[in-house]
Order: sequence, then structure tokens, then C-alpha cells
Amino acid sequence: MFAPYLILLALFGVWPIVQAGLVSLEPTVINPAGGAQNFADVVADVRFVPAALNVVVFLVMYVPAMLIVVSLMSLLLDTVQGRWNLPLRLAYIVPASMTGATAVLIWYFMLEPSLSPYQDALHALGITQGNQIWRQGGLAWIFVAMAFFVGAGNWIVVQYGSLQSISDDILEAARIDGANSWQIAWRIKLPLIRKYLVYMGILVFAAGLQVFVEPQLISGSVYTGIATDWSLNQLSYDLAFQSNNLADSAALSLMLLVVCIVAAIVVIFRSDFFEGTGVGSKK
Amino acid sequence: MTTETITTASSGRAHGVVRTRGFGAITGRTVVWIVLAVFGILSVVPMIWLILAPSKTAKQLNGDAPFSFGSFAQYGVAWNNLLSQNNGVILNWMGNSVVYTASIVVISCLTAVLAGYALAATALPFKRALLIITLVAMIIPPVALVVPLFVEISAIGLYDNPISVILTSSFYPFGVFLAYIYFSTSIPTELYEAAKVDGAGEFTTFFRIALPLSRGLFGMLAFFSFSAAWVNYFLPYVLLQSQENFNLSLGLGFLFTSSPALNPQNGAQQSLIGRPEIALASLFLAIPILIVFIASSRLLVRGVLAGAVKS
Repeated sequence: MFAPYLILLALFGVWPIVQAGLVSLEPTVINPAGGAQNFADVVADVRFVPAALNVVVFLVMYVPAMLIVVSLMSLLLDTVQGRWNLPLRLAYIVPASMTGATAVLIWYFMLEPSLSPYQDALHALGITQGNQIWRQGGLAWIFVAMAFFVGAGNWIVVQYGSLQSISDDILEAARIDGANSWQIAWRIKLPLIRKYLVYMGILVFAAGLQVFVEPQLISGSVYTGIATDWSLNQLSYDLAFQSNNLADSAALSLMLLVVCIVAAIVVIFRSDFFEGTGVGSKK
Repeated sequence: MTTETITTASSGRAHGVVRTRGFGAITGRTVVWIVLAVFGILSVVPMIWLILAPSKTAKQLNGDAPFSFGSFAQYGVAWNNLLSQNNGVILNWMGNSVVYTASIVVISCLTAVLAGYALAATALPFKRALLIITLVAMIIPPVALVVPLFVEISAIGLYDNPISVILTSSFYPFGVFLAYIYFSTSIPTELYEAAKVDGAGEFTTFFRIALPLSRGLFGMLAFFSFSAAWVNYFLPYVLLQSQENFNLSLGLGFLFTSSPALNPQNGAQQSLIGRPEIALASLFLAIPILIVFIASSRLLVRGVLAGAVKS
């Protein structure tokens, strides 16, 4: 009964990691001896540090923005239980349907001063040319905006769902004790959904670390070359498919993977998210 | 002093009467509504723009107001232009998207439900270890495994074969976790035990007892599996090479990089693929997932995470 999944797990969950481990040690053009030196070669690649910095800047903006806005919006949404609740939730998940290439198209138009529905706002900010926005230094902002736009709505709806699991008795008791909406949100609701927010934070972090599609598509279409090797995953991709250096590509992938696995283990064993599921830190 | 009664939403919590105090509370309330409404408008604006875009010619799209409507006939023109691209390869892409997504949803949900049940209700060796591996796999974003999967897929000779995309995407640890939680909390374990005492085997118990009780679970699993599979980009991007094997999301990316629509320096100058055509192709990608989202919005409210891990 477990077998079909176990086969998929072994073939596409575990084996690729083992094989990548083996490939990462193979000889390369720069390092004919192979071995662990490949990992050092990747880090020493001139493209590595800039890409790593880009990803760090991206994460520093993306993860807190997601956590703060999603918490705030789901709490606000929870305070309006009337007939507008459902339409609002539906509106919030609309952007999640515009991912990948669609998101790139949308953002190209939204940020192009001559075409954008927000052209007045862009003009007010002194932006009259697309290339004032689409330039090397400002790319992280754009990619954060794109990733945020696709991801936030779904998470707002999910965390709104988490808020629904809080028992009425607790909220009623707080209200009787004279707590206002602000105090209830801050002192009661937020702490009660904290573990779901932590879980979300880890998932958002792990996904952000792997940012690929947005810079890759922008760079391949709208502004050629503007974001080549902008993220670590793009570098890994280019090592494999442009430089034919599968060993270094696998090495870089493994490094990113290790960070994700560590994050996963932290959330499983150090947070109370999986409490009660038989594996968490507390039972 | 103002008193306002908040009616209970069908799926929401039962609320009593909320008393708000004086002027400050009213302005607070207004601010909340403004924030909620503005966020809602910002969320919907790009979709409205995208729906209107193919109604205009490329010239109108650049010159007219962003929210103007061209004509219905223009949707047809844009569609015909899309069809002209490589003998209607877009039809291949759409067909592929449907076939890949349907296969992935079926395989991933079935394996996940079986595995979740096995973890929750049967005597499985190394249960804890398997559960932990599943949790780790569920937290790692699928993108992280793309290059390792490419290495493996090319080694076993499935490169550029759609089977590779279907099988690798059917690995669904999050689904296993949801099914495991469902079978261990929503259905009393006494039920399985009673069936076994009555002489039912593992499979009989699963098909006669557990499966009929898990329609809601299937809905949720299919929802998440669908939303990931339909827009799948990076994995097919790496595993597939031939244009006719692309899914729609990959095909759209290809139109982006190969046509002069967004960058005049790209591709053939005579291409019929302009911005309205790209917008129309984007709509084909976005609308199905939007419909599924809206149709299953009630499922999501129940609290995906809370419902899943609350024990």
C-alpha cells in the first residue's frame, strides 16, 4: 500500500540527491582530479558571490514582507465576517493564477510607464522610461514584487483559514474581559497562529532561496541579459546547460539543497508545528 | 455609541454582537475596510488588464487607455495568429498541459492517499523514519531537485520524454502528509480496528472504510496537485527539449523568448506573435487555474494548515 509512493520517493526524492552527490565529485575541465575541490571551484566562480548576494537581498526583503503582510491581511480579513468576506478572499487569490511567464508579462506592462494602468503613479515617482526601473541595481525589488504578488494571496487565504480554527470561547472570553479588536488580534490570535506563520516562513524562505523563473524569463525575453546568472539557481542551470559542467552544477545544487534540508529539520524538530503528528519535538 | 451586528458568514465562525466605541472605532473600521478593498483591487487589476488585452491590436494596446476594450473580433484574430505559429503547436501545448496535469493529479493523489493511509492505520516498518523523510521532502521546494533530477533522467534515457515530467511531478510528499493527518485524526482509528477484528484485510479496510470517508481529502489533494502541475515551468523546462512536448506554461515562455513581442531584437521580425497574442496565451494558462481556485475556495477556508495539524 505504501509501495507506489515509496517507489516515487526513492526514485525522485532520494536517488537524484545520491546521484547528484556522485556527479558532483566527477572531474571537470578546471579540476581534472574531481572530488570535493569542485565545491570550492563553484564558490570561487566569479558569478557565485554576486548571485549569492542577490539571493540574500531578495530573501531579506521577500520573507519579512510575506510574513508581515500575510499576517496583517489575514487578521484584518478575520475581523470582517460579513458578506464581503468571500469576495475579498476570491480577489486575493486571483494573482496566484498568474505565475511564471504570465507574471513576467503582467509586470512588464505594469511597470512600463507608457503602457501601465499605474502610469500616473509611475510618473509621479519621476519614472518616465522603462529602463529607469529595469536596471541592474533595482532588479531585486522587481523580483520580490513579482514573487510576492503570486504568493501572498494564497497564503492570506490559508492563514485566514488557520484563524478560523481558533475557538470562539477564547475570543468570547477576551471580549468579555474588555479586550478590543486590536488587543485580541495582537495578544490572542497572532500567538495562536504563530506556528503556522513559522511554517510558512520556512517554506517561503526555501522557495525564495531557489528563485529562478522570474530572472530567467526577464533575462531571456524583455531585457536580454539583464539578469543572467542573477540567482544561484540560474548559475547552477547555466553551469549545466551553457558550460556543460554538470559536476559543478550538481555541487551548487547540493549546497542549496543542504540549506533547505537544514531549514526543514529545524521546522520539524525545533518548532511545534508538527506537534501531535508523532515526529515533532514535543509529543 | 454605535452598535453593529455582524452577520455570520456561512463558513465562518459564529459571531455575536460586536460593540464598537465612539468615533475612534468607526475610523478604525473604515481604515480596515480601505486596506482590505485596496488590496483586493490591486489583486484584481492585472487580471482585468489581461482579459482586456487580447481584444486590442498591438497598436491599440500601446496607444489606448490600459482598460479600454477593443473588439471581440480581435480575440479571434489573436487566436488565429497563435494557431499560425508552427502549424498550431499551441494546440499541442494545451493538449499536453491537460494530459500531463491529469496524469500527475491522478498518480500523485492515489499514491499519496494509499501512503497516508498506510502510515496512519497499518503496521509499517520504519514508520517514523519514513514520516520524517516525507516531511523533509515536503518542505524542500521542488525546484531544488531540478538539476539532480535532470542528471538522473538523462542517465536513464528519459530526457525529452513526457513520462519523465509526469513521473517526477507525481512525487507528492505534501499530499502524503495531508492524507496521513486526515486518516489519523479525522477518522477514528477504532473504525479500522473494528473492521480488522471482523476479518477484513488491509486492502478491504482501505477500500470499504477509509476511501468512502475521504472525499473531502481527495478534493484538497487534487487542488494542490493541480495548482502545482498546471503551471509547472522549471522542471519541464529542464527535462523537455522538443517544442511539441512542451506544456502551455513552457510554450508561453518559448513565445516570450522567440518572438519580437516584448523585445524587438528577438526572433523573426515578421512573426505574427505580438503582445495581444502573448496575452491571449497567458489567459489560457491563467483562466483554468483561476476557475479551480474559485471553485475550491470553500475547501481552503476550512484551514489547510490548521485543519491538517490540529490534533
